[in-house]
Amino acid sequence: MKRPVYLLIFVISVIVGLSLAQISVANQIATTGSELADLQKQVSDYKRDNMVLNEQFLEASSLTNISQKADKLGFVEAKSQVYLNTPLPLALKQ
Amino acid sequence: MIDIMTWRYRVTLLFFLFFFFSILARLFYWQVVRAEELAALGQDQYGRIVKLNPQRGEIITSDGFAIAANKLSYLVFANPKEIKDVNEESAVLSTLLDEDTASISALLSLNRYWVALKSHVDRQTKEKIEPLHIPGVGFEEQTVRFYPEASTAAKLLGFVGKDENGNDKGYFGLEGYYDRQLHGKTGLAVQIHDALGQPILAKMNDTVGEVDGRNLILHVDRTIQFLLDNTLKSGIEEYGAASGMAAVMDPKTGGILAMSSFPTFDPRDYQNYSDSLYRNPFLSDTYEPGSTFKPLIMASALDAGFLTPDTRCTICAGPVAIGGYDIHTWNDQYNANETMTQVIQHSDNTGMVFVGRKLGEDRMLSYIKKFGIGDLTGIDLQGEGTPPTRADNQWYPIDLATATFGQGITVTPIELLTAFSAIANDGKMMEPHVVSAVQTPDGETIPILPKVVSQPVSAQTAKVMTEMMVNAVDNGEAKWAKPKGYRIAGKTGTAQIPIAGHYDANKTIASFIGFAPAENPKFLMLVIIDRPTTSIYGAETAAPVFFKVAKDIMTYYGIPPSE
Repeated sequence: MKRPVYLLIFVISVIVGLSLAQISVANQIATTGSELADLQKQVSDYKRDNMVLNEQFLEASSLTNISQKADKLGFVEAKSQVYLNTPLPLALKQ
Repeated sequence: MIDIMTWRYRVTLLFFLFFFFSILARLFYWQVVRAEELAALGQDQYGRIVKLNPQRGEIITSDGFAIAANKLSYLVFANPKEIKDVNEESAVLSTLLDEDTASISALLSLNRYWVALKSHVDRQTKEKIEPLHIPGVGFEEQTVRFYPEASTAAKLLGFVGKDENGNDKGYFGLEGYYDRQLHGKTGLAVQIHDALGQPILAKMNDTVGEVDGRNLILHVDRTIQFLLDNTLKSGIEEYGAASGMAAVMDPKTGGILAMSSFPTFDPRDYQNYSDSLYRNPFLSDTYEPGSTFKPLIMASALDAGFLTPDTRCTICAGPVAIGGYDIHTWNDQYNANETMTQVIQHSDNTGMVFVGRKLGEDRMLSYIKKFGIGDLTGIDLQGEGTPPTRADNQWYPIDLATATFGQGITVTPIELLTAFSAIANDGKMMEPHVVSAVQTPDGETIPILPKVVSQPVSAQTAKVMTEMMVNAVDNGEAKWAKPKGYRIAGKTGTAQIPIAGHYDANKTIASFIGFAPAENPKFLMLVIIDRPTTSIYGAETAAPVFFKVAKDIMTYYGIPPSE
């Protein structure tokens, strides 16, 4: 007669234990979900910022823009170059 | 007693089994047979499936600069039911959005919960509207194509417009040719609705199937493109020409380093330009190449072994009569017994007739085909065309004679440039390519390897022809424009334009084709100036543009003068 009582207690204990575990996990997931949402928002914000910065970078470094700014600042095109064809006599063996 | 119990037991069992299977059948009906329909009904109550456009791939020049990228823009929308003073808000919004006040007012007066006021509004405008805190006005993020170098290489790039369903679609140039790669795969997501059926913009569930577009890595060098654009544009203005085009190729790989043509359009604002400007004339316009065709015929005759650079022309003492026509030189000056090197140097038409006769009809047509004339080059840009070539049995002696100096035969500029890659690359003709690699969203780079199309002439012939072209530059009509100290192989061209069956003497297509440094070519370039008015000659219009760009490229590459 004792066996069914133990069995019943065991089953109830398992049910209660699992229920508590479920509540605990659900609690954790609820918090994690919120954290995940925050992280997703952060990723989205970073992507947006990155796109804005990329746009600004491309605009600022475009040759069209640099050329216009150089003209305004009075830069002129170099008409000639000097090439040093002869190697400099550095560290030559005597 | 036992029998009765068994009977009752069986009836009860059957009764429960019947109910069990009835429930099972009903569940099967709802969950399997009508599953899709019910799921759609359920979904319709809380949201609807929306298409999510993937981020379009970037187009990146060989120096790592995104010449076509994406930038953030905004859709400005409003809830008319929340607008308190329609007239006041319309006046404010129409000024900031640069729209007609009446249309904004009409939209804000609608009996709706959501109206789109303007799409693709830039960040600066959004930042002006936002601080006003107008109730019912909001913003939805969008991306829009962005070309930071404005109209630079516009015809090479093409533009992004809309298809019949209002989705982004690339047209012309790279945007058109590589549209599927750049576009990526459209994703799906469920847009959650509120109780009134209005979309809750922040509530979008996980997307399915969305794959961003692939990036294109180009052979195009942004600096060379910039130099070519500016010099060509100045040249067209200086020589009073109707239009002009040019391209630079790496003859060893077939990679297009730059391609330009004017007049052009701004891909950021393509709607405000004529449709005729979208086409890339370097791929689709046909013209008679004139004297720039001579090196191809000369190389053919050298390769066939009928001539050497020192072979003397025996018919160059005066005009040559063929089929009732007289062939003259461009300046009506004749050089009896000149060598083949001098024929190219003087750009002598009678000398080329001599070359054509030595080569013979069949071989000449065979070499023309080997150089790819009459075939598509296979360049990876939308809109390439090729003029039909006449059948082999429709060439008359006069046609063959004029073809030797580039008249009566039509080509596209890209065809001619590709044909010359054989002379600049040890006889090997390369397939022209703008894209050098495709980059997946995962960062994997898939290279597009250089492809040899054919070898029309031997490496030895190519070297000999190169020396003849170097001599043409050093001693020919365009020598005044050549940068000092560099060995450049090149040839001028002045082709008259056929109009209504005859040539107009005052309207020409002036051109120059060449490569440098001659001993180890780093670039091959063709410049075409259409109908210049200050001078009709290629040596006085296209050649100076060529040499200016060539000198700048060699400075950029750090190539010192060799002489």
